[in-house]
Amino acid sequence: MIASIVLTLLAGGVPYYLLLERSGKFDSKTILLFSAFLLLCAVALTSVVPMRYEGLFATIALGSSLFSIYRAAKTTNFYKLGYHLIFINAPFFILFESFSAMYSLSLLVALLGLFIVARFYEQNYGSANYHHITGIMLATPYMGTFLTFYLITLSLYPPFPNALYFLSYMFKSTPDPLWYAVVIVVFFGNFYLAMRVMTETVFGKPNPNIHYVLMSVREKMTHAAVFALLFILGIYGVKEALL
Amino acid sequence: MEQLVLLIPAIPIAIAVILGVVTDKALIPKVSIILSSMIALLGLYGTFYVLTNDAPIEGFGGYIIYNELSSILVPYVAILGLVVRKYATKYMWDEAGYRRFFILLNFIFASIYLLVMSNNLIVLALAWQLLSIALYLLVSFNVGSNSAVKNARWTMGIHKGADLVFIFAVVLTYNTFGSADLGVLSKTWLAMSFHPADNPMIFVIGLLFLIAAMMKSAIMPFHIWLPYTSEAPTPVSAVMHAGVVNVGGILLNKLAYLLLLSPAVLNIAFVIGLVTAILASLIMLAVPDIKRSLGYSTVGQMGYMIMEVGLGAFSLAIYHLIVHGIFKATLFLESGALIKLARHDSNLPKRLSYEIFWEENLKSSGKKAFKYLALFAVLPIVLFVGVKMVLDDAFFEFNAAIVILAFGWLTGTQLFLSFFKASKSETIKVAVGLVSSFVIILFTYEFIGMALEHYLYGKDAELFYHAATQNVALFFSLFALTLITVIGWYFMYKQHVEEVPGMAKQTNSMRWKLYRFLSNEGYLFQLLNRLRRSGS
Repeated sequence: MIASIVLTLLAGGVPYYLLLERSGKFDSKTILLFSAFLLLCAVALTSVVPMRYEGLFATIALGSSLFSIYRAAKTTNFYKLGYHLIFINAPFFILFESFSAMYSLSLLVALLGLFIVARFYEQNYGSANYHHITGIMLATPYMGTFLTFYLITLSLYPPFPNALYFLSYMFKSTPDPLWYAVVIVVFFGNFYLAMRVMTETVFGKPNPNIHYVLMSVREKMTHAAVFALLFILGIYGVKEALL
Repeated sequence: MEQLVLLIPAIPIAIAVILGVVTDKALIPKVSIILSSMIALLGLYGTFYVLTNDAPIEGFGGYIIYNELSSILVPYVAILGLVVRKYATKYMWDEAGYRRFFILLNFIFASIYLLVMSNNLIVLALAWQLLSIALYLLVSFNVGSNSAVKNARWTMGIHKGADLVFIFAVVLTYNTFGSADLGVLSKTWLAMSFHPADNPMIFVIGLLFLIAAMMKSAIMPFHIWLPYTSEAPTPVSAVMHAGVVNVGGILLNKLAYLLLLSPAVLNIAFVIGLVTAILASLIMLAVPDIKRSLGYSTVGQMGYMIMEVGLGAFSLAIYHLIVHGIFKATLFLESGALIKLARHDSNLPKRLSYEIFWEENLKSSGKKAFKYLALFAVLPIVLFVGVKMVLDDAFFEFNAAIVILAFGWLTGTQLFLSFFKASKSETIKVAVGLVSSFVIILFTYEFIGMALEHYLYGKDAELFYHAATQNVALFFSLFALTLITVIGWYFMYKQHVEEVPGMAKQTNSMRWKLYRFLSNEGYLFQLLNRLRRSGS
């Protein structure tokens, strides 16, 4: 029971980001890093402490997930989007117990990519806010490509690992009403947000009032490394889904 | 050697990776065409192998298979892919994102090959989703256009729904039957069909797969994505109308033995297919936009394809989707050249058909055409039905015969009117032309359809017809009876109304309302837009 409460908190089953936001002491970047760190702790903990699925905590996490989708739909900041996505996926972590560790790891890697994009925006466009910075694919194709990769990963499409682990755990479990609710919310929640961001960033005409900055070789290499990580996780994901 | 055929789904991905590093723009289409012709050759070799050895090629732990269905569809998709790539070489040259286009094109073909060649429901689920994302990126290729991106979102929403329904169906199948291997499952389903058990879960699974297929194949009410995606580049439209929409039919063919256990699902498919075919064809005639009209034409054809599945004519659906695919791809790919020619000559299409069917002969009466048509259309049908019944009574299936006849008639007429410009005044020539095309289509369809059926399902084909016939015969009778009654009532009412002064105007207003309803596509989009606006 205690382990379940701890894990629910660590994995983002409770929207503690509300308190952090209201305190005014933490910026969105810190909240994202903090939430990601706690999720990583949860992943590590599940490998040590045997966990049992508790319907109550999964239901609480589902409520938190729905609320986070609502909040995420209103933000245009990559950092905020990042931590909202952690909370949106929390019920999946709780429902599928320790099986979902790899899913959470993949989520963290995809968020790492998004974090690097956010930092790029912060350095070159003044903040991690992507509002009005449209037409990335036409203006800066490399950034457009990498951002598309991350958003497709987050919207749960194969061959990227999140989708593969998501499918894999679904095949290994027995459906019940809560299972259906969690799967539908996570499946469409991630998709809805990723597509929304894609429409507002990757697509559209380049904004003539903005000086678009091309990525340096070093930045491209960093993204290539994240992509390679996703690729490796994807190979494991295929194995996991098929065997 | 034959195991190389199983690499077909991986080859387009390899091409995409190579294209990513090619620096010379002129090399991009060349590399793409040369390497994808390898797929066509491998596909043809695979088909030769399956035909001569009478055995499928299986590999990768049984996840991938090159069987009878693949041996028909893979060469078709590969040749279509080659034509589209060749066409896109010049067509897309000045577009921003030339390389991106060819990379995405390879991804969509990879997902179609994987879908066709998968022998496992999980692999099928992966291919199913890969297709969605590849389609989304292609439909929104023109990233600078707001409407293209908006329509791509519509498309993606429907396809994501199809993905989820499909995954649920796979999960339930795995939990119910304990396997995801299609070979094992097909054998289990066939064995179960001889000892039918009343298991509602099988109905649910069948229905979920049907809904997923309907969503991907743009069957009503999930059709809204297809007519509005014509803003995508022409080669993408050709791939969409000739390849992507067919995946619903391919899926249902892969799961044919499951549907054997749930005749109710077949009946539902028949009804929905029928409604889609009729409504989409009516809307196609009424919408003012030529691109949307083409979109609705495809929706109607897909309705017809699902209807064939609902009648148990699974192999016929495959034949239909290939023929329709070739026809529609030709229409899309030829449109540019035709527009160019029409700019110089307003009498297009002219050529041979112009001399034969369009030379005005004002002395002839247009009304005669109907008499000739009736005479020449009824005779071959009566002959065909009679010969079929006398020669092979056991093989004659009522439902299948209806679908063949109707399809023969529709396709023949469509084929004739698409290629020839016909004048009402040339009654005999037009009637003979129509009937000839009908007879050609009918016998080609009969010959190839039956050969395909034998090749794909052998003796099992009859089981599908029997399963589909169980309830459809009664339903069809009731439907036909209702239709006759309604039409009878309508004519009686019309006769009566015409005699009463002042009522004729009301009839016209009804007709006008119907036209408005159809040309506004059933007000579905207005409703959805209003809902979206109120939501935001």
